Amino acid sequence: MSEFRKDALSGQWVIVAPERASRPTDFPVERRRKGSGFCPFCEGHEEKTPHELFALRGNGSAADSPGWRVRVVPNRFPALNPQTPLEERSDSFAKSMSGFGFHEVIIDAPQHAQSLSELEPAGVRDLLGVYRERLSALRKDGRVSYAMLFKNVGAAAGATIEHSHTQLIGMPVTPPVVRGELTHCAEFARLNNGACLLCNLVEQELEARTRVISEGPHFVALAPFASRFPFETWIMPKRHFAHFEEQPPSTYADLAEMLCALLKRLDAALDQPAYNILLHTSPFGEESSASYHWHLEIIPSVTRVAGFEWGTGFYINPVAPESAAALMGMSSPSRPAAVERSV
Amino acid sequence: MAKILVVEDDPNQRLLYEEELKNDGYEVVTARDGREALEMVDKARPDLVVMDISMPGMDGIESMSRMLSQDHKLPIILNTAYATYKESFRAWSADAYVVKSSDLTELKSTIKRVLGAR
Repeated sequence: MSEFRKDALSGQWVIVAPERASRPTDFPVERRRKGSGFCPFCEGHEEKTPHELFALRGNGSAADSPGWRVRVVPNRFPALNPQTPLEERSDSFAKSMSGFGFHEVIIDAPQHAQSLSELEPAGVRDLLGVYRERLSALRKDGRVSYAMLFKNVGAAAGATIEHSHTQLIGMPVTPPVVRGELTHCAEFARLNNGACLLCNLVEQELEARTRVISEGPHFVALAPFASRFPFETWIMPKRHFAHFEEQPPSTYADLAEMLCALLKRLDAALDQPAYNILLHTSPFGEESSASYHWHLEIIPSVTRVAGFEWGTGFYINPVAPESAAALMGMSSPSRPAAVERSV
Repeated sequence: MAKILVVEDDPNQRLLYEEELKNDGYEVVTARDGREALEMVDKARPDLVVMDISMPGMDGIESMSRMLSQDHKLPIILNTAYATYKESFRAWSADAYVVKSSDLTELKSTIKRVLGAR
Protein backbone atom coordinates (compact mmCIF):
# COMPACT_ATOMS: atom_id res chain seq x y z
CA MET A 1 0.00 0.00 0.00
CA SER A 2 1.37 3.39 -0.91
CA GLU A 3 1.73 6.23 1.58
CA PHE A 4 2.73 9.87 1.73
CA ARG A 5 5.84 10.64 3.76
CA LYS A 6 7.29 14.03 4.63
CA ASP A 7 11.01 14.62 4.93
CA ALA A 8 11.77 16.60 8.06
CA LEU A 9 14.94 18.13 6.62
CA SER A 10 13.63 19.39 3.28
CA GLY A 11 9.93 19.59 4.08
CA GLN A 12 9.37 17.67 0.85
CA TRP A 13 6.61 15.06 0.45
CA VAL A 14 7.15 11.77 -1.31
CA ILE A 15 4.83 8.93 -2.20
CA VAL A 16 6.27 5.56 -1.31
CA ALA A 17 4.55 3.09 -3.62
CA PRO A 18 6.21 -0.30 -3.13
CA GLU A 19 3.61 -2.27 -5.10
CA ARG A 20 5.01 -0.72 -8.28
CA ALA A 21 8.42 -2.30 -7.88
CA SER A 22 10.37 -3.53 -4.92
CA ARG A 23 13.38 -5.49 -6.09
CA PRO A 24 16.57 -4.17 -7.69
CA THR A 25 15.78 -6.29 -10.72
CA ASP A 26 12.54 -4.38 -11.30
CA PHE A 27 14.54 -1.44 -12.65
CA PRO A 28 15.96 -1.39 -16.18
CA VAL A 29 19.13 0.36 -15.04
CA GLU A 30 21.35 1.95 -17.66
CA ARG A 31 24.63 0.31 -16.72
CA ARG A 32 27.76 2.49 -16.60
CA ARG A 33 29.67 1.91 -19.79
CA LYS A 34 33.43 1.67 -19.98
CA GLY A 35 34.73 2.60 -23.40
CA SER A 36 38.18 2.91 -24.83
CA GLY A 37 39.93 5.87 -26.37
CA PHE A 38 41.76 8.92 -25.13
CA CYS A 39 40.91 10.47 -21.74
CA PRO A 40 42.03 14.04 -20.95
CA PHE A 41 41.78 13.33 -17.20
CA CYS A 42 44.23 10.40 -17.11
CA GLU A 43 47.73 10.78 -15.71
CA GLY A 44 50.15 11.71 -18.49
CA HIS A 45 47.60 13.90 -20.31
CA GLU A 46 47.93 16.95 -18.05
CA GLU A 47 48.49 19.25 -21.06
CA LYS A 48 44.82 18.74 -22.02
CA THR A 49 43.50 20.50 -18.92
CA PRO A 50 43.89 24.08 -17.67
CA HIS A 51 46.78 24.64 -15.24
CA GLU A 52 46.18 22.91 -11.95
CA LEU A 53 44.98 24.84 -8.90
CA PHE A 54 45.99 22.16 -6.45
CA ALA A 55 47.24 18.58 -6.47
CA LEU A 56 48.27 15.89 -4.04
CA ARG A 57 51.69 14.91 -5.31
CA GLY A 58 54.53 12.73 -4.20
CA ASN A 59 58.25 12.72 -4.97
CA GLY A 60 58.40 16.46 -5.65
CA SER A 61 56.79 16.13 -9.09
CA ALA A 62 56.15 19.43 -10.88
CA ALA A 63 52.71 20.99 -11.34
CA ASP A 64 50.88 19.85 -14.51
CA SER A 65 53.03 16.76 -14.80
CA PRO A 66 52.45 13.10 -13.86
CA GLY A 67 52.96 11.96 -10.27
CA TRP A 68 49.70 13.15 -8.67
CA ARG A 69 47.08 11.28 -6.66
CA VAL A 70 44.25 13.85 -6.83
CA ARG A 71 44.33 16.91 -9.12
CA VAL A 72 42.18 20.07 -9.19
CA VAL A 73 41.82 22.27 -12.28
CA PRO A 74 39.48 25.10 -13.19
CA ASN A 75 36.73 24.10 -15.61
CA ARG A 76 37.90 24.94 -19.14
CA PHE A 77 34.37 26.05 -20.01
CA PRO A 78 33.06 27.23 -16.62
CA ALA A 79 29.43 27.90 -15.72
CA LEU A 80 30.65 30.73 -13.46
CA ASN A 81 33.85 32.75 -13.69
CA PRO A 82 35.87 34.40 -10.90
CA GLN A 83 37.07 37.09 -13.35
CA THR A 84 33.51 38.35 -13.89
CA PRO A 85 32.77 41.33 -11.64
CA LEU A 86 29.94 40.60 -9.24
CA GLU A 87 27.02 42.87 -10.10
CA GLU A 88 23.39 42.70 -9.07
CA ARG A 89 20.45 44.13 -10.98
CA SER A 90 16.81 44.14 -10.07
CA ASP A 91 13.50 45.73 -10.93
CA SER A 92 9.93 44.97 -9.86
CA PHE A 93 9.83 41.54 -11.41
CA ALA A 94 13.33 40.46 -12.28
CA LYS A 95 16.46 40.08 -10.23
CA SER A 96 19.73 39.06 -11.81
CA MET A 97 23.41 38.80 -11.00
CA SER A 98 26.48 38.57 -13.17
CA GLY A 99 27.94 35.08 -13.58
CA PHE A 100 30.55 35.44 -10.88
CA GLY A 101 31.75 32.30 -9.15
CA PHE A 102 34.14 29.38 -9.25
CA HIS A 103 33.85 26.17 -11.22
CA GLU A 104 36.51 23.62 -10.37
CA VAL A 105 36.99 20.03 -11.48
CA ILE A 106 38.57 17.60 -9.04
CA ILE A 107 40.06 14.61 -10.84
CA ASP A 108 39.58 11.89 -8.25
CA ALA A 109 42.42 9.57 -9.29
CA PRO A 110 45.19 9.31 -11.88
CA GLN A 111 43.93 5.98 -13.25
CA HIS A 112 40.84 5.67 -15.46
CA ALA A 113 38.41 4.59 -12.72
CA GLN A 114 34.74 5.32 -13.33
CA SER A 115 33.47 5.20 -9.78
CA LEU A 116 34.80 5.59 -6.26
CA SER A 117 33.83 1.93 -5.87
CA GLU A 118 36.85 1.10 -8.04
CA LEU A 119 39.29 3.01 -5.83
CA GLU A 120 41.03 1.83 -2.70
CA PRO A 121 39.73 3.47 0.51
CA ALA A 122 43.13 5.20 0.88
CA GLY A 123 42.51 6.96 -2.46
CA VAL A 124 39.05 8.06 -1.33
CA ARG A 125 40.55 9.31 1.95
CA ASP A 126 42.98 11.44 -0.10
CA LEU A 127 40.05 12.76 -2.10
CA LEU A 128 38.13 13.76 1.04
CA GLY A 129 41.20 15.71 2.15
CA VAL A 130 41.18 17.56 -1.17
CA TYR A 131 37.47 18.37 -0.75
CA ARG A 132 38.36 19.93 2.58
CA GLU A 133 41.26 21.84 1.03
CA ARG A 134 39.20 23.34 -1.82
CA LEU A 135 36.19 24.18 0.35
CA SER A 136 38.55 25.90 2.80
CA ALA A 137 40.19 27.83 -0.06
CA LEU A 138 36.84 29.11 -1.34
CA ARG A 139 35.71 29.99 2.16
CA LYS A 140 38.95 31.92 2.68
CA ASP A 141 38.45 33.76 -0.61
CA GLY A 142 35.37 35.29 0.96
CA ARG A 143 33.53 36.18 -2.23
CA VAL A 144 31.12 33.25 -2.43
CA SER A 145 28.49 32.27 0.08
CA TYR A 146 28.12 28.63 -0.88
CA ALA A 147 30.05 25.89 -2.67
CA MET A 148 28.21 22.91 -4.08
CA LEU A 149 30.36 19.82 -4.30
CA PHE A 150 28.89 17.02 -6.39
CA LYS A 151 29.66 13.94 -8.43
CA ASN A 152 27.96 12.78 -11.60
CA VAL A 153 28.88 9.16 -12.30
CA GLY A 154 27.64 7.54 -15.51
CA ALA A 155 25.87 9.18 -18.44
CA ALA A 156 22.39 8.71 -16.91
CA ALA A 157 23.54 10.81 -13.94
CA GLY A 158 24.85 13.61 -16.14
CA ALA A 159 28.51 12.61 -16.46
CA THR A 160 30.12 13.63 -19.75
CA ILE A 161 33.31 11.64 -19.18
CA GLU A 162 33.92 8.21 -17.69
CA HIS A 163 36.94 9.16 -15.57
CA SER A 164 35.88 9.62 -11.94
CA HIS A 165 35.73 13.30 -11.04
CA THR A 166 33.99 15.75 -8.74
CA GLN A 167 32.79 19.27 -9.49
CA LEU A 168 32.85 22.19 -7.10
CA ILE A 169 30.82 25.28 -7.95
CA GLY A 170 31.25 28.28 -5.67
CA MET A 171 28.45 30.81 -5.99
CA PRO A 172 27.39 34.10 -4.48
CA VAL A 173 23.97 32.77 -3.43
CA THR A 174 22.96 29.88 -1.18
CA PRO A 175 20.90 27.38 -3.19
CA PRO A 176 17.20 27.25 -2.20
CA VAL A 177 17.43 23.51 -1.45
CA VAL A 178 20.08 24.12 1.20
CA ARG A 179 18.36 27.29 2.41
CA GLY A 180 15.18 25.24 2.92
CA GLU A 181 17.07 22.67 4.98
CA LEU A 182 18.66 25.41 7.08
CA THR A 183 15.23 26.92 7.74
CA HIS A 184 13.72 23.58 8.79
CA CYS A 185 16.69 22.87 11.05
CA ALA A 186 16.49 26.30 12.64
CA GLU A 187 12.77 25.83 13.24
CA PHE A 188 13.37 22.41 14.80
CA ALA A 189 16.04 23.93 17.07
CA ARG A 190 13.70 26.74 18.08
CA LEU A 191 11.03 24.25 19.16
CA ASN A 192 13.46 21.83 20.82
CA ASN A 193 15.76 23.88 23.02
CA GLY A 194 18.38 24.39 20.34
CA ALA A 195 18.67 20.72 19.36
CA CYS A 196 19.95 19.65 15.95
CA LEU A 197 17.37 17.91 13.76
CA LEU A 198 19.88 15.54 12.17
CA CYS A 199 21.61 14.68 15.46
CA ASN A 200 18.17 13.65 16.72
CA LEU A 201 17.41 11.79 13.53
CA VAL A 202 20.68 9.84 13.71
CA GLU A 203 19.99 8.94 17.32
CA GLN A 204 16.47 7.71 16.55
CA GLU A 205 17.52 5.77 13.47
CA LEU A 206 20.34 4.04 15.35
CA GLU A 207 17.88 3.06 18.02
CA ALA A 208 15.19 1.78 15.61
CA ARG A 209 17.63 0.19 13.13
CA THR A 210 14.98 -0.17 10.43
CA ARG A 211 16.67 2.12 7.90
CA VAL A 212 20.32 1.93 8.94
CA ILE A 213 22.51 0.56 6.17
CA SER A 214 25.85 0.68 7.89
CA GLU A 215 27.54 2.21 10.88
CA GLY A 216 31.15 3.05 11.55
CA PRO A 217 32.90 4.70 14.49
CA HIS A 218 32.21 8.20 13.16
CA PHE A 219 29.51 7.93 10.48
CA VAL A 220 26.19 6.29 9.81
CA ALA A 221 24.61 5.50 6.43
CA LEU A 222 20.85 5.20 6.18
CA ALA A 223 17.95 5.14 3.78
CA PRO A 224 16.05 8.33 4.67
CA PHE A 225 12.46 7.89 5.89
CA ALA A 226 11.10 9.91 2.96
CA SER A 227 13.58 8.78 0.29
CA ARG A 228 12.79 10.44 -3.02
CA PHE A 229 14.49 7.77 -5.07
CA PRO A 230 14.98 4.00 -4.79
CA PHE A 231 18.11 3.18 -2.80
CA GLU A 232 18.75 6.84 -1.94
CA THR A 233 21.34 6.83 0.84
CA TRP A 234 22.53 9.51 3.21
CA ILE A 235 25.80 9.46 5.12
CA MET A 236 25.97 11.62 8.22
CA PRO A 237 28.62 12.21 10.86
CA LYS A 238 27.49 10.95 14.25
CA ARG A 239 29.03 13.95 15.95
CA HIS A 240 27.63 17.35 15.08
CA PHE A 241 29.52 19.41 12.50
CA ALA A 242 27.79 22.11 10.46
CA HIS A 243 30.55 22.48 7.84
CA PHE A 244 32.25 19.59 6.08
CA GLU A 245 35.58 21.38 6.59
CA GLU A 246 35.09 21.12 10.38
CA GLN A 247 35.04 17.33 10.26
CA PRO A 248 38.38 16.11 11.69
CA PRO A 249 40.59 14.54 8.99
CA SER A 250 41.33 11.71 11.42
CA THR A 251 37.78 10.45 10.68
CA TYR A 252 38.16 10.39 6.88
CA ALA A 253 39.36 6.78 6.85
CA ASP A 254 36.03 5.71 8.36
CA LEU A 255 34.08 7.74 5.78
CA ALA A 256 36.21 6.43 2.91
CA GLU A 257 35.68 2.81 3.99
CA MET A 258 31.94 3.39 4.26
CA LEU A 259 31.66 5.10 0.87
CA CYS A 260 33.63 2.42 -0.94
CA ALA A 261 31.64 -0.39 0.67
CA LEU A 262 28.28 1.27 -0.03
CA LEU A 263 29.07 1.98 -3.66
CA LYS A 264 30.27 -1.60 -4.12
CA ARG A 265 26.97 -2.85 -2.72
CA LEU A 266 25.08 -0.49 -5.01
CA ASP A 267 27.08 -1.78 -7.98
CA ALA A 268 26.24 -5.35 -7.02
CA ALA A 269 22.57 -4.74 -6.28
CA LEU A 270 21.75 -2.57 -9.30
CA ASP A 271 24.37 -3.76 -11.80
CA GLN A 272 26.68 -0.71 -11.82
CA PRO A 273 24.11 2.07 -11.98
CA ALA A 274 24.84 5.70 -12.71
CA TYR A 275 24.59 7.82 -9.56
CA ASN A 276 25.08 11.27 -8.08
CA ILE A 277 26.71 12.20 -4.79
CA LEU A 278 25.84 15.59 -3.32
CA LEU A 279 27.39 17.33 -0.34
CA HIS A 280 25.04 19.47 1.74
CA THR A 281 27.00 21.67 4.11
CA SER A 282 26.54 24.96 5.91
CA PRO A 283 27.03 28.19 3.89
CA PHE A 284 30.44 29.88 4.26
CA GLY A 285 29.13 33.16 5.55
CA GLU A 286 27.28 31.62 8.46
CA GLU A 287 28.86 30.81 11.77
CA SER A 288 29.13 27.18 12.69
CA SER A 289 25.52 26.36 13.32
CA ALA A 290 24.30 24.27 16.23
CA SER A 291 21.21 23.34 14.24
CA TYR A 292 22.59 22.33 10.82
CA HIS A 293 24.53 19.12 10.20
CA TRP A 294 26.47 18.39 7.01
CA HIS A 295 25.73 15.17 5.14
CA LEU A 296 26.26 13.35 1.85
CA GLU A 297 23.38 12.22 -0.35
CA ILE A 298 23.90 9.30 -2.77
CA ILE A 299 21.23 9.07 -5.45
CA PRO A 300 21.29 6.14 -7.90
CA SER A 301 19.79 6.96 -11.31
CA VAL A 302 17.13 4.28 -11.49
CA THR A 303 13.91 6.28 -11.94
CA ARG A 304 13.13 9.32 -14.04
CA VAL A 305 11.84 12.67 -12.87
CA ALA A 306 8.82 13.40 -15.09
CA GLY A 307 5.59 15.40 -15.29
CA PHE A 308 4.15 14.55 -11.87
CA GLU A 309 7.41 15.33 -10.07
CA TRP A 310 7.97 18.58 -12.01
CA GLY A 311 4.35 19.62 -11.48
CA THR A 312 3.99 18.83 -7.79
CA GLY A 313 7.47 18.71 -6.33
CA PHE A 314 6.46 15.27 -4.96
CA TYR A 315 8.45 12.19 -5.86
CA ILE A 316 7.09 8.68 -6.28
CA ASN A 317 9.49 6.14 -4.84
CA PRO A 318 8.64 2.52 -5.63
CA VAL A 319 11.09 1.08 -3.06
CA ALA A 320 10.32 1.48 0.62
CA PRO A 321 13.43 2.82 2.36
CA GLU A 322 13.16 0.00 4.89
CA SER A 323 13.46 -2.56 2.05
CA ALA A 324 16.33 -0.65 0.47
CA ALA A 325 18.18 -0.54 3.79
CA ALA A 326 17.66 -4.27 4.31
CA LEU A 327 19.06 -5.06 0.89
CA MET A 328 21.91 -2.53 0.99
CA GLY A 329 22.84 -3.52 4.51
CA MET A 330 23.50 -7.13 3.60
CA SER A 331 26.84 -8.29 4.91
CA SER A 332 27.89 -9.63 1.51
CA PRO A 333 27.97 -7.21 -1.43
CA SER A 334 26.55 -9.72 -3.88
CA ARG A 335 23.36 -9.85 -5.89
CA PRO A 336 20.86 -12.14 -4.13
CA ALA A 337 20.10 -15.28 -6.11
CA ALA A 338 16.35 -14.92 -5.57
CA VAL A 339 16.27 -11.68 -7.51
CA GLU A 340 18.59 -12.47 -10.39
CA ARG A 341 17.76 -10.36 -13.43
CA SER A 342 15.85 -12.28 -16.08
CA VAL A 343 16.90 -11.80 -19.69
CA MET B 1 52.89 24.18 -45.84
CA ALA B 2 50.91 22.25 -43.25
CA LYS B 3 48.48 19.53 -44.20
CA ILE B 4 44.98 19.85 -42.72
CA LEU B 5 42.34 17.14 -42.50
CA VAL B 6 38.84 18.66 -42.62
CA VAL B 7 36.16 16.33 -41.22
CA GLU B 8 32.69 17.57 -42.18
CA ASP B 9 29.53 15.72 -43.20
CA ASP B 10 27.89 18.64 -45.01
CA PRO B 11 29.24 18.64 -48.61
CA ASN B 12 28.83 22.40 -49.12
CA GLN B 13 30.63 23.27 -45.92
CA ARG B 14 33.31 20.70 -46.65
CA LEU B 15 33.93 22.31 -50.04
CA LEU B 16 33.96 25.80 -48.50
CA TYR B 17 36.58 24.87 -45.90
CA GLU B 18 38.64 23.02 -48.48
CA GLU B 19 38.69 25.96 -50.91
CA GLU B 20 39.29 28.63 -48.27
CA LEU B 21 42.13 26.74 -46.61
CA LYS B 22 43.72 25.88 -49.96
CA ASN B 23 43.57 29.59 -50.84
CA ASP B 24 45.51 30.25 -47.65
CA GLY B 25 48.19 27.87 -48.86
CA TYR B 26 47.39 24.76 -46.81
CA GLU B 27 47.32 21.28 -48.27
CA VAL B 28 43.82 19.95 -47.51
CA VAL B 29 42.40 16.45 -47.32
CA THR B 30 38.81 15.73 -46.32
CA ALA B 31 36.65 13.09 -44.68
CA ARG B 32 32.85 12.81 -44.51
CA ASP B 33 32.47 11.36 -41.01
CA GLY B 34 34.38 10.23 -37.96
CA ARG B 35 35.12 6.75 -39.23
CA GLU B 36 36.47 7.96 -42.59
CA ALA B 37 38.55 10.51 -40.66
CA LEU B 38 40.32 7.69 -38.80
CA GLU B 39 41.31 6.12 -42.10
CA MET B 40 42.48 9.48 -43.48
CA VAL B 41 44.67 10.14 -40.45
CA ASP B 42 46.47 6.85 -41.09
CA LYS B 43 46.68 7.42 -44.83
CA ALA B 44 47.40 11.17 -45.15
CA ARG B 45 49.25 11.90 -41.86
CA PRO B 46 47.84 15.44 -41.41
CA ASP B 47 49.52 18.10 -39.23
CA LEU B 48 46.16 19.22 -37.86
CA VAL B 49 42.53 18.06 -37.89
CA VAL B 50 39.49 20.36 -38.12
CA MET B 51 36.69 18.17 -36.75
CA ASP B 52 32.93 18.65 -36.91
CA ILE B 53 31.13 17.01 -33.96
CA SER B 54 27.57 16.18 -35.02
CA MET B 55 27.95 13.68 -37.87
CA PRO B 56 26.15 10.46 -38.76
CA GLY B 57 27.84 7.21 -37.80
CA MET B 58 30.81 8.05 -35.61
CA ASP B 59 30.65 11.58 -34.17
CA GLY B 60 33.59 13.95 -33.92
CA ILE B 61 34.19 13.48 -30.18
CA GLU B 62 34.47 9.71 -30.54
CA SER B 63 36.64 10.00 -33.64
CA MET B 64 38.94 12.50 -31.87
CA SER B 65 39.18 10.19 -28.86
CA ARG B 66 40.30 7.30 -31.06
CA MET B 67 42.79 9.46 -32.98
CA LEU B 68 44.38 10.73 -29.78
CA SER B 69 44.66 7.24 -28.33
CA GLN B 70 46.98 6.53 -31.28
CA ASP B 71 48.82 9.88 -31.18
CA HIS B 72 47.94 12.22 -28.32
CA LYS B 73 50.09 15.01 -29.79
CA LEU B 74 47.93 15.30 -32.94
CA PRO B 75 46.44 18.84 -32.94
CA ILE B 76 42.65 18.82 -33.22
CA ILE B 77 40.25 21.75 -33.48
CA LEU B 78 36.59 21.00 -32.80
CA ASN B 79 34.52 23.03 -35.26
CA THR B 80 30.82 22.76 -34.50
CA ALA B 81 27.56 24.64 -34.86
CA TYR B 82 26.76 23.93 -31.21
CA ALA B 83 28.36 25.58 -28.18
CA THR B 84 26.62 23.01 -25.95
CA TYR B 85 29.31 20.38 -26.53
CA LYS B 86 31.53 22.52 -24.29
CA GLU B 87 29.64 20.88 -21.42
CA SER B 88 31.34 17.62 -22.30
CA PHE B 89 34.65 17.08 -20.53
CA ARG B 90 35.67 14.87 -23.46
CA ALA B 91 35.85 18.07 -25.54
CA TRP B 92 38.85 19.09 -23.41
CA SER B 93 40.93 16.68 -25.47
CA ALA B 94 40.82 19.15 -28.36
CA ASP B 95 43.37 21.94 -28.70
CA ALA B 96 40.60 24.42 -29.46
CA TYR B 97 36.83 24.69 -29.77
CA VAL B 98 35.37 26.92 -32.49
CA VAL B 99 31.66 27.59 -32.98
CA LYS B 100 30.93 27.57 -36.74
CA SER B 101 30.29 30.82 -38.53
CA SER B 102 29.99 31.86 -42.18
CA ASP B 103 32.96 34.10 -41.43
CA LEU B 104 35.99 31.81 -41.21
CA THR B 105 38.25 34.39 -39.55
CA GLU B 106 38.14 32.74 -36.11
CA LEU B 107 38.71 29.25 -37.51
CA LYS B 108 41.66 30.44 -39.60
CA SER B 109 43.29 32.33 -36.75
CA THR B 110 42.79 29.31 -34.47
CA ILE B 111 44.47 27.04 -37.03
CA LYS B 112 47.44 29.43 -37.17
CA ARG B 113 47.66 29.60 -33.40
CA VAL B 114 47.45 25.85 -32.86
CA LEU B 115 49.97 25.08 -35.59
CA GLY B 116 52.25 27.81 -34.25
CA ALA B 117 52.19 26.30 -30.78
CA ARG B 118 53.54 22.97 -32.08
